[in-house]
Amino acid sequence: MTTTAGLRGLTAYRRPNGGVGVRNHVLLLPSVMCSAHVAAEIAGDGPAIAITHQHGCLQVGDDLRHTRFDLVGTAINPNVAGVVVVSLGCETINGSDLAIKIASHGQQVELVGIQAAGGTRRAVEAGRAAARTLVETAAAGERVSVDMWDLIVGIDAPDDALSAPIIAALGRRGVQVLVAIDSPRGAEAHVALAAGGAQIIVSLPRADEAAIGFVVCPVVAVGRDTDLHRALSDDFDVIVESDEDEGEMSDRVTQRVLAHARGELTASERRAARDFVLRRLAVTM
Amino acid sequence: VSGIDLTGYCRQGGRWGVRNHVLVLPARTASNTAVARIAAGMAGTVAVSHEWVGPADDGDTDLVLRTLAGFAANPNVAATLVVGVSDADAPLVNAIRARGGEASLVTMAAHGGTAGTVEAGRAQARALVAQAAVLEREPMPLSALTVGLECGGSDALSGITANPALGLASDSLVAEGASTVLSEIPELVGAEELLAARAISVEVADRIRSVIHGFERSVEALGVDVRGAQPTPGNIAGGLTTIEEKSLGAAKKAGSAPVSGVLEFAEPAGAPGLYIMDTPGHDIEQMVGLVAGGCQLIAFTTGRGTPTGSAIAPCLKIATNTAIYDRLEGDIDLNAGGIVDASRTLAEVGDEIRDALLAVARGRLTSSERRGHREFALRRIPRHVPPGGTSRLASLRVQEATPGRL
Repeated sequence: MTTTAGLRGLTAYRRPNGGVGVRNHVLLLPSVMCSAHVAAEIAGDGPAIAITHQHGCLQVGDDLRHTRFDLVGTAINPNVAGVVVVSLGCETINGSDLAIKIASHGQQVELVGIQAAGGTRRAVEAGRAAARTLVETAAAGERVSVDMWDLIVGIDAPDDALSAPIIAALGRRGVQVLVAIDSPRGAEAHVALAAGGAQIIVSLPRADEAAIGFVVCPVVAVGRDTDLHRALSDDFDVIVESDEDEGEMSDRVTQRVLAHARGELTASERRAARDFVLRRLAVTM
Repeated sequence: VSGIDLTGYCRQGGRWGVRNHVLVLPARTASNTAVARIAAGMAGTVAVSHEWVGPADDGDTDLVLRTLAGFAANPNVAATLVVGVSDADAPLVNAIRARGGEASLVTMAAHGGTAGTVEAGRAQARALVAQAAVLEREPMPLSALTVGLECGGSDALSGITANPALGLASDSLVAEGASTVLSEIPELVGAEELLAARAISVEVADRIRSVIHGFERSVEALGVDVRGAQPTPGNIAGGLTTIEEKSLGAAKKAGSAPVSGVLEFAEPAGAPGLYIMDTPGHDIEQMVGLVAGGCQLIAFTTGRGTPTGSAIAPCLKIATNTAIYDRLEGDIDLNAGGIVDASRTLAEVGDEIRDALLAVARGRLTSSERRGHREFALRRIPRHVPPGGTSRLASLRVQEATPGRL
């Protein structure tokens, strides 16, 4: 295999723990939904981004373990330069434990607790101070040249007919491809892919589905030549023509993936779709 | 007619709201972004987001639709703008109308995606706010008021101070013809016979036992240890030792009134009285269930201190102890802690809670309203749990088609 003329290399952010990120986010991570509002208040309209999720308390068994795993995995995704864990203080997924676990992966992390800080207002103040420091540190980071092999592209619908040619085309460019097996497809797969280290996600919504973003990864939304996807064309990055050659289609998607990995914003990033969907394995107690 | 003066907004079907919100509601996760941007900075609107992606084959569809429809049809909402992906989301609008609410639909498919939907949705929301603004408060019958009874972040004082004081307030409201709803079934385990003895009929008593025993059986079926979730680490740090101890304190929120019935999650109450709703103990999921069942107001006791609120129903927070009331400055409305140092009696605090609930119903803002707390979560009942689905990392693989470095 040879490098084709005009193919540019890849640039990305190198993390102190060896990770390679295509974005440089500072993340506000609520350990429980009770602190999601404070996390959002801390982020405001500033450069840090907040996850809103509906979990973290009164969970048991596998449901609890995988929720904790996915929260940690999202926080240590290499697109994330630093994390502020926002805890309430009495929740099942203890904020302090979560921060320690995140730090154990070499991620920069700060902890703010609402009960520990003395309420919403003080927690927002403390969180903003912590986020500001992390944003300054992150802003000092610069894109450097990295190997194609450092890029991990997640595919959220491995059984889709479009997946095989896209995976093959990405592979020809030398990037790694990650798929979730025995996992739900679509939005529910995004967190698993991010937790598995994917820096960018190729999403293949079904004909009856709209495009969905993901909070810490650019999502390249690939639509089809259907009434609904055509009607939602602003929210897609690529629309595949019904008579399009497989090779052309997969090259087009791959070029989009690489352009977005280099920094061009995806449709979901432009509309600030910071979706986070967690599949639940058991009822909340 | 009681001597209690109450005011509210009269809705169709003889229902009354104590707030006058325009709700912007996503039909699916894909419209969360459009919803947030439609409501951003527009006074009179409130927005929620949720994680239901809306797959056609989801066994939870009925529960999710019932919850979203009941929430939007709460009489605190003057009108709901449903933001859908396509006309396939029309059933939600119909479900809201069937519950007596006002709803209209804007779809992303009709506007090219999110950006166009935000523009169209903002114009529609502005029109709905203008219509709602014409409505004025009128004298409201107390029989039209339903108050949800909730506790979150309980500690060892919950069952001694705030919960029994709230119980007195509940008894007083029920005696005057209002309704109250106790919920959080996991936190009634061990209190089933006490509550069944107060049921208005043998059938209601049997329902109380069956819904609480049903929860216990469902936990056994999961094959997990519920400790760590119930009581929570925070409950334990606060001095509670077992779920039974937590339950006996939690049940005190319902005072001593007869139990008129057991409601499904998000089901409206019937004739005035005290009800029990089948909800989880999770603060937000249960609050959404209560509000979706028609509660216009929530009374929420807390020992560890939580700032939770609802997008559409005012939530009056009552501290079980003075230390947490002082510590979480501005997050908690009332302090029941004086009961333990004998500076106040249960009856005094009970009266204070009842009077504060009525003042909030008349329009006084709660702490969580002032601070913008609008937590929202959908109750989900997962059915297809993969065996041994513990580690999701194990289910990821790097695809074989990657031939290596260039």
